[in-house]
Amino acid sequence: MQLLADHEETLALFAEGIAGRYFHIRASDEFGSHKRFTLSADGTGQSSDTVYLPEQLDAPDRSGYRVLLMEQLGLRECGTFRFRMARALQQVPALTTRYEPPNSRSPRTGDYHLLFGTFDQPGLAAELFNLFERARVLGYLSRTYPGMRRHIHSYASHILELGFPTEDPFICGTRCMWGESPIYPQWEPLTETIKALMIDNGTVYTSVSALCDHYDSIREIYAFVESTPYQPQEESLPDWLSREERIEEWQEDLEGIEMAMAVEMLQAEDVEAERGQTDDTAVREADIDIKSLQDERDTLKRRIDMEKSSVQHALGADRSNARSYRYDEWDHNNRAYLRHWCRVFEEDLTFTAADPEIIDTLRQTVRQYQSTVQKQLEQIRPTGLQRVTRIQDGDELDLNAIIEARQDIRAGQSPDERFYSRKERMHRDVGAVFLVDLSASTDDPIEPPEPTDWSNYDPDKSVNLRDPWDDPEDEEFDEEPKRKIIDIQREAMVVMASALDALGDTYGIYGFSGYGKDCVEIFVAKELDQAFTVGTLEAIAAMSPKRSTRMGPAIRHSVHRLMGSGHAMKVLIMISDGFPQDADYGPERGNHEYGLQDTAKALEEAQQKGVETFCLTVDRSGQDYLKRMCPDARYMVIEEMEDLPDQLSKIYATLTGR
Amino acid sequence: MTEAVSLNALDNEPYYLPLADEVEIFRAAYAARLPVLLKGPTGCGKTRFVEHMTWRLYRETANPLEVPLVTVSCHEDLTATDMVGRYLLKGDETVWTDGPLTRAVRTGAICYLDEIVEARKDTTVLIHSLTDHRRILPIDKTGELVSAHPEFLLVISYNPGYQSVLKDLKPSTRQRFVSLEFDYPDVEAEAAIIAHEAQIETDIAERLATIGERVRNLKQHGFEEGVSTRLLIYAGELIRGGIDPRRSAQVGIVTAISDDTTVQQAVADIVDAILP
Repeated sequence: MQLLADHEETLALFAEGIAGRYFHIRASDEFGSHKRFTLSADGTGQSSDTVYLPEQLDAPDRSGYRVLLMEQLGLRECGTFRFRMARALQQVPALTTRYEPPNSRSPRTGDYHLLFGTFDQPGLAAELFNLFERARVLGYLSRTYPGMRRHIHSYASHILELGFPTEDPFICGTRCMWGESPIYPQWEPLTETIKALMIDNGTVYTSVSALCDHYDSIREIYAFVESTPYQPQEESLPDWLSREERIEEWQEDLEGIEMAMAVEMLQAEDVEAERGQTDDTAVREADIDIKSLQDERDTLKRRIDMEKSSVQHALGADRSNARSYRYDEWDHNNRAYLRHWCRVFEEDLTFTAADPEIIDTLRQTVRQYQSTVQKQLEQIRPTGLQRVTRIQDGDELDLNAIIEARQDIRAGQSPDERFYSRKERMHRDVGAVFLVDLSASTDDPIEPPEPTDWSNYDPDKSVNLRDPWDDPEDEEFDEEPKRKIIDIQREAMVVMASALDALGDTYGIYGFSGYGKDCVEIFVAKELDQAFTVGTLEAIAAMSPKRSTRMGPAIRHSVHRLMGSGHAMKVLIMISDGFPQDADYGPERGNHEYGLQDTAKALEEAQQKGVETFCLTVDRSGQDYLKRMCPDARYMVIEEMEDLPDQLSKIYATLTGR
Repeated sequence: MTEAVSLNALDNEPYYLPLADEVEIFRAAYAARLPVLLKGPTGCGKTRFVEHMTWRLYRETANPLEVPLVTVSCHEDLTATDMVGRYLLKGDETVWTDGPLTRAVRTGAICYLDEIVEARKDTTVLIHSLTDHRRILPIDKTGELVSAHPEFLLVISYNPGYQSVLKDLKPSTRQRFVSLEFDYPDVEAEAAIIAHEAQIETDIAERLATIGERVRNLKQHGFEEGVSTRLLIYAGELIRGGIDPRRSAQVGIVTAISDDTTVQQAVADIVDAILP
């Protein structure tokens, strides 16, 4: 028995190499979020950014997973999702005779929905079509990836051993696809078609043609079955994936129309210039053309927008910009690790737009704090260049060594050959990750309210003491939004970032949140090896309150990143505003012990791996749980939120300055 | 000198398959004695290109130079002294010995500084006076100002991909060169290169080139660069030497590009799927 958890990471890389884009590899159990669809019987399937594979696979070796994965990638390579009904009607005459456009048809109706709706049992047609497509893809894989042949063969023989041949046309067809010689003569035409599909270099329309040829004979078998299992499938994954690809085609059409419009406009201008104002018929004609093109463009634009939101609603949020990882979780109640329990999605914040107002505030904050923070960090500044003497190779001769060498030669002894000196930079090799809690509670205002800033106080300004209600400034003061925890967190990060950049240390800034074990989110504002740029500032500004606080996986992921960075000294500083909590973080919702213990374990693992950790919280009741969660002297409760940037730099200097 | 300085005599034509107009541009740059900067990933043919061009140019001009190309592979400990020269202890006295750059400047060879950003900052500043109208090389330690030979040309290369931001080339250096960008060739051209260099069948060369294309999709994970054309050629040469293609790819590609076992496994799986 093979476990997906063992091979998931390799499979994701393999898929990325083969397909040239990233796919999340997720277990079919994680498919639960898609309530409308079902995966195929063997637990495989795909959505726009994910390939689903069974958590356990009965296969002789790990290549079984690769066969299933390649089948899914093959569907994309073979153009299954590029199926268009209009083209099918042109290329497959047998389909044209059957097809009657349904009344409910709109330009946005899915092509597969139309195709299967042509048949009286759409579900049956879909299953038959899938069988043909699978055969076509397997044939394609064997030809294009000759190395896969033996894996397909070994997996196929295992599958054939596991099942039994029956008279059912689908089982018969599938077994034939896996290489079994046909047993039932009545299905010989079907198996012949499958074999042909595997050998020929056909298109998706070849499979459609095969569907039209064989549907009736298969339909007969199922005609007398009461309560038929083949209900019309209103919603199917391939249909939505094909609709997703169709959006791209529409986008191209849109670009085409816009180009045509530009050309028309230029021509109209030319005509106008040539004929002057004497004859304006041609100009009017051109105007009409442009108008119709404009209408066409607007309709298409609207359609694309509507389709995009429908596709997103059906297939779920697009996470194609994220990468995903799975981490263990410590089950405190059973004193054991839950293997590959949490899925972490890592996403760059650069993809989200930040509020320009926040960016401005952050810029001001940097100016305000920079000098104090910089001073603290300068204490640990590296010593710079140092001359190293008595070495074998260098840019200068070391006089002392030369004299000694000469003395040795004179004395008839063999001299020391290390008589050069060289300037060397003293390295400071620190990699740090700041892990910022982006839970919903960071949206809370800081209490007590911020003291009034008297630095800009103008004593000359008259205050209307008689009628304070009439004072316009007072109104403004009331309307001013209160500063929130997230604001201070952002500011602290920006100040640290600019200071650390001057120091030359490598550092990363990650935010974390999520909801439930299958969706822990890490938002990368700055990757460890990135430089601090305007983009980083924007990314920090884009950090915003999200959902829950599952700390364990977030820490494990940060440690994983730090370990990969290869720095001699690794530091992880977590900034949060409360205890760890999440929807399914522990058996009881209200009990935080499970989350606390998992976080403590994650911090312990980090220490064991040589990562220095520190937890900062702005939760004043934090003392109770931090004491149990963090290693000794590796936590701090910030009493005054405004102290955060200052405290943070102190902690950083202490942690890394030793 | 411990660093890799190859004094290339170039007796036979080094094979190079032009992918765009780089040959013409280099030729024109040489005619005007404009220094050239080659940008591109590891093993995509930058060094070979310089060798090829040197061979072409010196063959055409019938230059009697014994060493027409001086290559210096820069590394982080390479200082200006290593390039210009130094005093060496010889018997009872210290003797000045020219470095590779000075030698090229004096003789009129093409000096190729490979991976220039790897070298220390003082090295890059050193070449400034050589790359503008002055064409001189000041030697601090001897107080000499060496005027470049009329046929001398400086070529440098760097790889913008994997060096950290700290090691980026300064604009003041960058703007002294004619920049030629290199990248890995497409599957078809790369297959032709592999087939020629490794002397193997086109079919297997195509397979190796496909492996290169697919593995390069992974270049952000664990290895900074995709598999280079050079590695693919190595694998091809092993195949020609009678080693099984899978094994050749294993030792020539898989283990060579990353130490991360997961990445290695994924690359091995890609190789396994593509090779017959």
